[in-house]
Amino acid sequence: MLPPGAFDREGFLRRLEDWTPGVARQIAAGENIELSEAHWELINLLREYYREFDSSPAMRPLVKYCGLKLGAEKGRSIYLLSLFPGSPAKIGSKIAGLPKPDNCL
Amino acid sequence: MSAPGGKRLLVVVRHSPYSSSLARASLDVALAAAAFDQPVSLLFVGDGVLQLQSGQDCDALGVKNLGRLLASLPLYDIEQVFVDAEAAQHYRLDLAAAPLPTRALDRDAMAELIRTHDHLLGF
Amino acid sequence: MTLHTLNASPASAAFADCLRLLAAGDALLLLGDGVYAALEGTEPRRALDASGALLYLLQPDAAAAGVLGRIGSAAVVDMDGFVELSERFVRQLAWY
Repeated sequence: MLPPGAFDREGFLRRLEDWTPGVARQIAAGENIELSEAHWELINLLREYYREFDSSPAMRPLVKYCGLKLGAEKGRSIYLLSLFPGSPAKIGSKIAGLPKPDNCL
Repeated sequence: MSAPGGKRLLVVVRHSPYSSSLARASLDVALAAAAFDQPVSLLFVGDGVLQLQSGQDCDALGVKNLGRLLASLPLYDIEQVFVDAEAAQHYRLDLAAAPLPTRALDRDAMAELIRTHDHLLGF
Repeated sequence: MTLHTLNASPASAAFADCLRLLAAGDALLLLGDGVYAALEGTEPRRALDASGALLYLLQPDAAAAGVLGRIGSAAVVDMDGFVELSERFVRQLAWY
């Protein structure tokens, strides 16, 4: 468990290198999400996006990226919303230990 | 090119990637416009073409890698990306190796590009 | 047509970039150090004349620089004239 000081006011991890799968579970619990295999697939995808583009995705690029990497079935906002209700790009990035997306609606 | 989604915005980018925050600011405006479904095009002119240099590595500098951010523009559906051909040639830039696909324009084509947009934003 | 505003000296990259995108029939309003681009007989002024763009200088800036007697046929506008120009052109692009 990381202390509260490791997170910013909105609950995003301050230091990327503090992230572990255990930290992801801790953040997810705060969002009332229990992480399934499908969640982990997306968390890994978000971290891959961050490594590739040095930024957290907004919703539109996240949907497209999912479609490209995981297949058209999963490249839909409804699928992302089912896993991370409300704001998938924002909540997904938070659990994946990434900074808050800049252009988050 | 019609614009059912709104007025067409052209962002004119003229600063090298790490000289100031202006390069980053211009991309942020483009990304924000795209996130709000506004049609947006980018034109790199002058030193701005240096953002398209391949192989940018910011690890030692400790800043965001703009080359990699540029590579994500197609995922934001920003596909109208244009380059001042003369500036690219001036710096012997290999556009085929750039982080994203672009179209090089001569001076007349740039003037025409400006005429086909409703709003211009320069950085 | 586009109204360009230039607020940087003719030695700047902003001037060079502006010149590349300046089309015949566009207007260019010179502000701040930009007013020096209008000096008659200089290379920047020759390039501006060759562009076919309409040339304007902002009066307070041109007066402060002391160049009003050296700009030939270029037009001088006050702040109201600036506003009128902004209304006349649908597109505006700032160079600084």
